Amino acid sequence: MTDHPVRLTVDDDLRRSRLTVLFRLILLIPHALWWWGWSIVAFLVAIVNWVVTLIRGRPPAGLYTFLASYVRYTTHLFAYAYLAANPWPMFTGRPGYPVDLEIDEPVPQRRWTVALRLLIAIPALLLAAAFAGSGPGAWSESDHRGAALTWAGGTLLTVAFFGWFVSLARGRMPQGFRDLQAYGLRFLAQTGAYLLVLTDRYPDVNPAATPAVGVPHPVSLAIEDDLRRSRLTVFFRLLLALPHFVWLFLWWVVAFLAAIAMWFAALVIGRPPAGLHRFLSAFLRYATHVYAFVMLTANPFPGFTGRAGSYPIDPRFPPPERQRRLVTGFRLFLAIPALAVSGALGGLLFICALLGWFASLALGRMPTTLREAQTYALRYSTQVSAYLLILTERYPHSGPIRVESAS
Amino acid sequence: MVAAWLLWQTSVPDGLVLPKVDSAVGVDRQVLDDAEDYERFLRWTFVASQLAALVVLVLYAWRGARLTRESAAGRIGTGMLLGMLGLAFVWLSQLPFELLELWWQRRHGLWRSGYLEWFFETWLSLGAEFLFVCAFLLTTMALAAVLRKTWWLAAAPVFVGLALLFAFIYPYLVDGRPAPQDLRRDAVVFAHRQHMEPVKVEVEDWSDFTTIPNAYATGVGPSRRIFLWDTLLDGRFDRRELRVVLAHELGHHSRNHIWKSVAWYALVLLPLLGGVAWLTSRRGGIYAPRAVPLALLAVLVGGLFLQPLDNAFSRRHEAEADWVALETTRDPVAARRLFRAFTRDALEDPTPPGWAYAALATHPSVEERIAMATAWERRQTGR
Repeated sequence: MTDHPVRLTVDDDLRRSRLTVLFRLILLIPHALWWWGWSIVAFLVAIVNWVVTLIRGRPPAGLYTFLASYVRYTTHLFAYAYLAANPWPMFTGRPGYPVDLEIDEPVPQRRWTVALRLLIAIPALLLAAAFAGSGPGAWSESDHRGAALTWAGGTLLTVAFFGWFVSLARGRMPQGFRDLQAYGLRFLAQTGAYLLVLTDRYPDVNPAATPAVGVPHPVSLAIEDDLRRSRLTVFFRLLLALPHFVWLFLWWVVAFLAAIAMWFAALVIGRPPAGLHRFLSAFLRYATHVYAFVMLTANPFPGFTGRAGSYPIDPRFPPPERQRRLVTGFRLFLAIPALAVSGALGGLLFICALLGWFASLALGRMPTTLREAQTYALRYSTQVSAYLLILTERYPHSGPIRVESAS
Repeated sequence: MVAAWLLWQTSVPDGLVLPKVDSAVGVDRQVLDDAEDYERFLRWTFVASQLAALVVLVLYAWRGARLTRESAAGRIGTGMLLGMLGLAFVWLSQLPFELLELWWQRRHGLWRSGYLEWFFETWLSLGAEFLFVCAFLLTTMALAAVLRKTWWLAAAPVFVGLALLFAFIYPYLVDGRPAPQDLRRDAVVFAHRQHMEPVKVEVEDWSDFTTIPNAYATGVGPSRRIFLWDTLLDGRFDRRELRVVLAHELGHHSRNHIWKSVAWYALVLLPLLGGVAWLTSRRGGIYAPRAVPLALLAVLVGGLFLQPLDNAFSRRHEAEADWVALETTRDPVAARRLFRAFTRDALEDPTPPGWAYAALATHPSVEERIAMATAWERRQTGR
């Protein structure tokens, strides 16, 4: 398959100016005003572009250039806002920003996809919500107890929230965080281009297409899935998982106690005891099998024992090794950002499962892009759990490049 | 056989002859026609649904084993998957009939819940069935690994124990509220008359879903309860009729019907499981996952054959509870009024055809119940 006509490029050295990070929201104000104005004009131009493309079968060059600049400028602005890049962006959407877009020249488009664009875009918009949701800090009224903090998903805001503290402290954005932001921005840009009728290529949620640096991590996923899905088990998937939910809950109770024991033991002896490490690895492996089954990331009904190599989506854990006591002691506290990002990626996993449910019922197979996005989210979630359960000391890597074996 | 004979015995006097009565007395002709029409439709829907389930399970027994490829769960896990998928097929086959029944009940004003709500509920109950079949297969397949062909001898006591456990905990799972004080007072008096400790009486809210009046006795030992649906308390039944209902349900407890039902279940279960073991032996027995579809078929067919016997046993208990209620309340007039109300308010056909009575009826017919009240009255007056 040819490259997507809307491609993200990243030329960012991860360095962040503490000063501009501190005042980033205020610095955004002029851009925000400009962007709102441009958005209104772009909306009107997009309608004209839609009508003309419907009639002529391809977008007119002038309108295309204007809308492409708007999408590029939006990407620059979002990259700045969400700490994926450092410098204050230009107002023109001209190429040259560290997080930039390459947009191909206009080509003919299938008229029926132009006509039904808004309708066809619904799945992409749902996926976009997983990236651009409201993130942490959304307050909602609960019934009797006043306001409660809720987690509304959204990887961009979640990562930016924690990235802000890290960038202020270290003057650098973590590689994984930046790459995850690039993944989200790429998908949003492609969705925007699709909605504005710049291209009829559907947005690609496959994380592997994101320009990012792969960092090997001791916790990985081995993937042997052939994408085939049984329509029957897909239709009843949630109910079929009920016995696993019961078993997982029982196992979770024991694992919770084992994790506490593991924490104390690792604090005292400086490494996880082999028996507990084995038990918690099996538990986490089983949990990953069950999630993969429920979320349609894999097809077969999983076993109940968490045996290594028994499932097409199979986590690999490192052997027990020495861990720094300080990191072990503050593990729960240190894991908070990773847990938040994992929660946000959980939204992506769920939306992919929802879309994959319909796709699998219709096609009898899971679309590759959805499965890849899911394995990415699952891998990260497994790394977070492994970090929490003291199976590894390595912090979870949120970058979207897959380092496990390909299917 | 001796155990079955002992369980069959009740305190209804031997040789009690039920007089000929006219169940239509006091009931509008139109209501009788409606009841007959209503139940006829449900009977044939039931027959059709059973046939559909049978066809589906025959096909599943024939071809279902190939679904083992959808599992990475080992022997028992694969058996569970096949069990759940079998139930899923049956569920799909039953949906049109259940939909028809709901439509029919709504049309007659007996059921109030909407179609979406109904679908959600059946979906949830399918989940419960999935868990049940998993527990069943986990037990049988694990026992088969140890005992091979004789697994069913050990499985029967396990399932009877589970049934007893369920009978014990069920009352705690029901969301009931205390019954009105006058009924609770009556229950204490009646319990004394039936020579038993008082039993809690609670009300269960059903009026949002249905208008059908109902009550039941449940629990064993300290968990014994009587639950009255709130549809009984909406003003259609007077105090005397409600006292008959109470005395009837207490009769189930005082005559140990729950215990006897569990014992009956044990008697029926043993040959049923033995039949499953024998039928599945050609496919490697229940030990092998590919035998599970055949086992499901065997359970359905066995259940269909045993249902008339189960129903007869249940009717014996219900008749005894009616008799105990008459002895307790000494109010045959209220009893007759109550039984006639079942035709009026629940559209129960007072004289169902013989085959439907044998295959479906867990209670004596309305006509039989009225006749029993009359028979009791005549014994008292010596006529």
